[in-house]
Amino acid sequence: MAINSYSNLSNFGYNSKKELGVVTMAFNPKQKILIIDDMSTMRKIIKNMLGKMGCDQLDEAEDGIPAWDMIQKAHEAGMPYEFIVSDWNMPGMTGLDLLKKIREDERFKTLPFLMITAEAEQSNVIVAVKAGVSNFIVKPFSIVTLKEKIDKIFP
Amino acid sequence: MSMLTDPDMEEIVLGFTEEASALYEQLIEILEDYEDEPGQKKLEEFGQVIDRVMGAAKSIEAERTGNFCELGKTISYKASQSMDNELLNIVVAVLFDTVEILQKINKTIINQKSEDLPDINLDRFSTRLRWLSDKFQNIERSSVAIATPDAGQADQKSIDELLQSLGL
Repeated sequence: MAINSYSNLSNFGYNSKKELGVVTMAFNPKQKILIIDDMSTMRKIIKNMLGKMGCDQLDEAEDGIPAWDMIQKAHEAGMPYEFIVSDWNMPGMTGLDLLKKIREDERFKTLPFLMITAEAEQSNVIVAVKAGVSNFIVKPFSIVTLKEKIDKIFP
Repeated sequence: MSMLTDPDMEEIVLGFTEEASALYEQLIEILEDYEDEPGQKKLEEFGQVIDRVMGAAKSIEAERTGNFCELGKTISYKASQSMDNELLNIVVAVLFDTVEILQKINKTIINQKSEDLPDINLDRFSTRLRWLSDKFQNIERSSVAIATPDAGQADQKSIDELLQSLGL
């Protein structure tokens, strides 16, 4: 299917950017960020890239199950995560399932969520957008691409 | 300079080889299980595990590893939807070979910071994988993607265009 055929948002029941998980606050490198990937190599690469952007409050989780626990506990402790960077394909709880869980919870409705995947499938993108993803990045990616995505999420 | 030879990336590359090595063992176990008791789920599981290596491999510029993983993933997902037992036997044998080659490449990454295997014609093996992938031409789903009609693979640029059209 041609990309342009997705241009009519009403086909997907969207009314505003807010519903799509888009946030309007500015990115602050001192924000608390949670990186979720089952491959520690990927977590290290992402940490390395975010570190070069000045980010130093970086936590890690291996999949959606511990991540969901960490997100809730951090919120309850008054030090909530302000940005989630998650892989899609993970054992345990996938990135998509985690995203859905987050968006179902009133506390995290607008929590910025960047989905990372090796699956450059249009169908995946549509499903993730419907679930409220803030943006989508395809592996492999450079620090420039990551920065561009962050700038789009935090304009 | 390639990430594989970049001293700043040494720790990450080494970490990748250790992780990949454990996952290759897991892939062998899945194939052995399949031989003992064939089942489509096992081939799908193979695809999910090799997909994990693929993303990390491409991210550290281990292109050859990434490409072989991608082909292995495509074949295993497509094969998981096939009922052609004769062809599935060939698939499993080729996937065993794929993992064996990936293990050898992994060792050269550790020892020589490269993916070259002078004793093996990797291009020929790649052609063999593509030939096998083509045997499943009538099967569309080649990944863990949520199946929808007309959905296809896209690069970051196309994904960005799609996201833009969706309001992101």
